[in-house]
Amino acid sequence: MAQAAETETGAETLARHVRRFREFLATTDREALAVVGVMSLALLSAFVGFLLVSAYTIVPFAVFLGAAGYGWIRYQGLTARLLMLTMTVSTIVILLLIITFIFYESVPVLVYESTTVLGVSVPGLRMFTQPNWDAVSSPIRYSMVPMIHGTVMVTVIATVVAAPLGIAAALFLSEIAPAPVREFVKPGVEILAGIPSIVYGFIGFTVLSPWASDQFRILGQGTYLFVGVVVGLMALPTIVSVAEDALNTVPESMKSGSLAVGTTDWQTMTSITLPAAFSGVSAAVLLGVGRAIGETMAATVMLRGVPRITDPLYNVFYGQETLTSLIARNYGEADGLQMDALFVAGVILFVTVLVISIGSQYIEWRMRKKFGGDV
Amino acid sequence: MLTAEGSSTVYPIANKGSSYWNSNAPPSDGEYWGSNPEEGNTVPGWEALGEPDMRLADYFASLYGFEPSGEQATPPFPTSIGLSHSGTGCQSVVDGLVDIGNSSGPITAELGWSESKAEEEVVDHVLGRDGQPVVVSGDVYDNGVQQLTGEEVRQIYQDEITNWSEVGGPDQEIYVIGRAEGSGTDTSFRLNMLGSADAPMPGVNTRFGQNQQVATAVAQNEGAIAYMALAFTSESAPPIAINFEGTVYEPDRDAENTIFDSDYPLNRDLHQYTKITDETPEGTDMREAAFMNMFLTDFGQQVFVEANNYIPLPTSDIESEKAKLPEQM
Repeated sequence: MAQAAETETGAETLARHVRRFREFLATTDREALAVVGVMSLALLSAFVGFLLVSAYTIVPFAVFLGAAGYGWIRYQGLTARLLMLTMTVSTIVILLLIITFIFYESVPVLVYESTTVLGVSVPGLRMFTQPNWDAVSSPIRYSMVPMIHGTVMVTVIATVVAAPLGIAAALFLSEIAPAPVREFVKPGVEILAGIPSIVYGFIGFTVLSPWASDQFRILGQGTYLFVGVVVGLMALPTIVSVAEDALNTVPESMKSGSLAVGTTDWQTMTSITLPAAFSGVSAAVLLGVGRAIGETMAATVMLRGVPRITDPLYNVFYGQETLTSLIARNYGEADGLQMDALFVAGVILFVTVLVISIGSQYIEWRMRKKFGGDV
Repeated sequence: MLTAEGSSTVYPIANKGSSYWNSNAPPSDGEYWGSNPEEGNTVPGWEALGEPDMRLADYFASLYGFEPSGEQATPPFPTSIGLSHSGTGCQSVVDGLVDIGNSSGPITAELGWSESKAEEEVVDHVLGRDGQPVVVSGDVYDNGVQQLTGEEVRQIYQDEITNWSEVGGPDQEIYVIGRAEGSGTDTSFRLNMLGSADAPMPGVNTRFGQNQQVATAVAQNEGAIAYMALAFTSESAPPIAINFEGTVYEPDRDAENTIFDSDYPLNRDLHQYTKITDETPEGTDMREAAFMNMFLTDFGQQVFVEANNYIPLPTSDIESEKAKLPEQM
């Protein structure tokens, strides 16, 4: 199937769809077609009404509900198909609307932070070319550099903490641990993922931060190091759980084959199991990294809330602000350009997560090509 | 019916007072009024009131000649507090729409009046203050920094002073705590302490949004300085005296100049205005006096002012405010 689809040209695909649509029209009851048509039209007008913030949006939506109700009784299969399609489409539409909104809201501050490069005015460029944030006193600047720096610091530290621990734990659970241990530990680890992040943040704020401040003779409390450690611990259950699932999918035949030629368990693990499950394991780590980037509560509670680059750059003993904590800390008080700058932080987060997501898909695709269907 | 309306800043104090008044709790209640030996509850300032054997509103109203009702939820006259803005409250009392106008700014600023016009038209009663004492962490306080000048505070927040030894304290770096950037607290601190609403604060190490976080951070860290609502100060985050241009404002309610004074630059008065009319040339009638006198007791200051995170009046101001009310019966 897949092979056939790939060789098909655009025109052929179009022709095939038109043919299928004609067939659908010809073989379906007139009344059913009318119901489906009314539903689609009503929903479309409801959407337009919603976009126009019309008070009459309720009318087409009521028509849609009525038509769906009638259709559900008379033509359940067809109506259900259309409803499910609607749900899927609305999920995507809602996401697109959110994305459009955060981009739209960030426009004023992007215009404010324009810089001229080679005679061309580039909107928003100054947010990335100078490191000063000050929303109150002049010069008023909304640089994103300190927050990007903070997010990178926290994410790197969290990954350094969580990736080795997580992969090692997953290997142990999947390959070494006896069944009773695995059955006890795996659900336990998964429960850990359910602890609300404010609990970690609270422990960090009241116990870890003051302790670190004392031990390392830091001025005041709030360090990227311990925020990173805490966020890493929070990402750990995700990594263990997903990586363990990936290792489990490596077929027993591959491992047995390896053992049959005389390798040890350890050699099998490192040269067969891990490489074979590499895509799954890296997806696990990327999921963990995603959680670290998006982590808000613990970072907001533990960080200092003063956007500033630490000196020197790799100084992990002072924790200023991340993209997420900037939004969480300031949304209540901010207005005007400061509020729009928070939307820019949102846009950066969105783009980052998008890149990571695409990256993990790409790794998976590469691995599938390399190892074939089993993995 | 006694009516009042105006500022949202004064509202919590006035409205809580009004709620207590209208329920007219008996002296055996213990939680809202009087003392309940069985549950071990006594309202603050009960002894100072002389432990009267009357219900709350009955007692305060009887001081100005009203007949006690003796019944729950039936005060000698009911009170009602509306919520709007300072300017609206001032205008309403001037127009005779309400008995009391609540305002967080002086009526001269709210309505653009001259001082003399304000004195002819209304009486200004102050029932509490809104403000932010400067606090330091306990270790700094115990090692000699119990007073700073306004200029020193400015230099600390603007990164010109970075070590406590420069202001007579231990050899310890200063951990400077500020409030959420652009918030009301942040702006008023910049305006009153640093000179302008957009003054830079390069010395700030950490910013917090809530009083509770500030209090915890000051208690947890050595060498900290911060400003926060009075109710959150404690032994581990004690308020310090501030010297503004030669006047020392002390954190002691009975001192000559205190950090609870209206002159203290981080404070502002919370006003209740009453109108001068032909019937009441003194400006305050018996109902208004009975209600407002409640706030000028130890009980009122602690329960209505301090419990809402506002600054209670120092002893001398209580005296002068009481003098504005008519004679008690």
